[in-house]
Amino acid sequence: MRASAACELAGVPTSSLVCEGFIGQAGTTSAGLGLPNLPLALVPGHVGNQSDEEMKQNVLGVTLDAVVSNLLEAPEDAPPFDEPSPREIVFEGSFEEVNRHFTECEWSDGLPIVPPTVEKVEEFLAFTDRDPDEVLGVILADNRSVTIWSIAVNGVMAGCRPEYMPVLVALAEAMADPEYGVEHSGNTPGAETLITLNGPIIKQLGFNYEQGVLRDGFQANSSVGRFWRLYLRNVAGFLPHKNDKATFGNTWRVVLAENEDVLAAIGWPPTSAEFGLEAGDNTVTIARYTGGDMMASVYGDTPERVLPYIADAVLKQNTWQLIFTVGKSMGSLRPLLVLSPILAQTIAKAGWSKQDVKQYLFDNARLPAWEFERYLGDWTDHVIRSLEAEVNLGRIPRVFLESDDPNRLVPIVFEPDDFMIAVAGDPLRNNAITFAHNGRLGYPVAKRIELPAGWEARLAEARAR
Amino acid sequence: MTNSTGERRYQVVWPRSKRQLQPRPLAPRLDTLAGKTIAQLWDYVYRGDEVFELLEPQLEARYPGVRFVSWREFGTTHGAEERELLASLPQRFRELGVDAAISGMGC
Repeated sequence: MRASAACELAGVPTSSLVCEGFIGQAGTTSAGLGLPNLPLALVPGHVGNQSDEEMKQNVLGVTLDAVVSNLLEAPEDAPPFDEPSPREIVFEGSFEEVNRHFTECEWSDGLPIVPPTVEKVEEFLAFTDRDPDEVLGVILADNRSVTIWSIAVNGVMAGCRPEYMPVLVALAEAMADPEYGVEHSGNTPGAETLITLNGPIIKQLGFNYEQGVLRDGFQANSSVGRFWRLYLRNVAGFLPHKNDKATFGNTWRVVLAENEDVLAAIGWPPTSAEFGLEAGDNTVTIARYTGGDMMASVYGDTPERVLPYIADAVLKQNTWQLIFTVGKSMGSLRPLLVLSPILAQTIAKAGWSKQDVKQYLFDNARLPAWEFERYLGDWTDHVIRSLEAEVNLGRIPRVFLESDDPNRLVPIVFEPDDFMIAVAGDPLRNNAITFAHNGRLGYPVAKRIELPAGWEARLAEARAR
Repeated sequence: MTNSTGERRYQVVWPRSKRQLQPRPLAPRLDTLAGKTIAQLWDYVYRGDEVFELLEPQLEARYPGVRFVSWREFGTTHGAEERELLASLPQRFRELGVDAAISGMGC
């Protein structure tokens, strides 16, 4: 729809080919682009599972006439949007009534929200020096402004404490960063964002970074994770059955806080250092992941004994996602490996750096070239099907064509630094977890958390409440 | 704030924020496709190439002189360079004499 919008705004009429299940999303996306009446040409069913004959019948029987109509007949003008202003009191009622209203208006994720009264919002605003009306960016799909005010409102609703506000602002800034690609948040794989937190603020705000780090049950980790999804819903505009076309989807993830004590002890940099930020900075890092799995009981007392199992698991969790390594967003796959502290310590005591682990994964998490190409071609029907052709066109590294043997082993990413490694979880359990990344459609982005003047005093005051 | 029975009442604000765009007019539609140039835009997935191949002869039969600029001319509309590609379209269309566009696939 973004391509069609660009054409229409250039004065060129369009027809957008849309499969049946995506008509609703096309409509809401078009509204966000300021063209609610963008003409659509229905393609019945889904072309991915139709025979050639079935697709031909559908295209010629339905789509063709719609294309002609789209290009020759002007649709009715769309009426202007009529919405409240940001500070407007939109409802008054009891706790239950407010929650019912928010659910009916699709402003809630289905769990009870904390009613966002002006008083509660102002408590959050007390933890930032920035103007409530400051616009940090504009985000699709709805094309709404990211403001300090709206961050505070959704932070209240999510059950955050006011002192989490600096973290929430950094997250909203990250969401608005074009590098991240928030506009893709409604794509069908339904990837969910993982927030990684670094810096002294982990302990100051009481984030869990040890056992059960990805389990709900810790207010900071849980409510900040929930804030992310509420902000995606209410400001970005990603609602299931509308702009959010996750085929399955999953619940928002709680925040992953790194174990910085262990990182410091073994001399490994935090995740934020991958983005040029300093160890000791308070930072958030975001990226979207479609899935992954954990490795239980990683046995061994040296890197050479521990890492084969881990490399094998990292490889097996990245399957169709290889289209982000070689495909329409070349080299954008960034798999994440989270090691429990005891595993990181076992590897580091042999003198291995985080970089050494990345290199090991690059060299060993490999699959036969023919199998890689099967994901690109036969199984997903993407246009790019040959690693050899892409190497010869200079679009992917030569490591993908070290011989013409279809059984040659090729890496799953462009370079070792594409792997990301974090340390968290139960300090004394030898488990790891890996996440399969969603490529350019949720690319890793990090932001520094800016603290307000007098942070320590404000924090002490908040803790006393 | 409470009501007469002592129940807490909440006056709540809107959780969304201002849309940056009000509805804008579409491009004027064409009076005919005969003799016109139609660009094909594709995101390189979901058989768009095959759909264009089905549409082309049918449109040519109905509208003499209609011609097409292949999706190959533009590259994928949904890749890493999406923003740059979309920004380049007005100029590319002028160069290619494009009158209309068919874009797919929304799947």
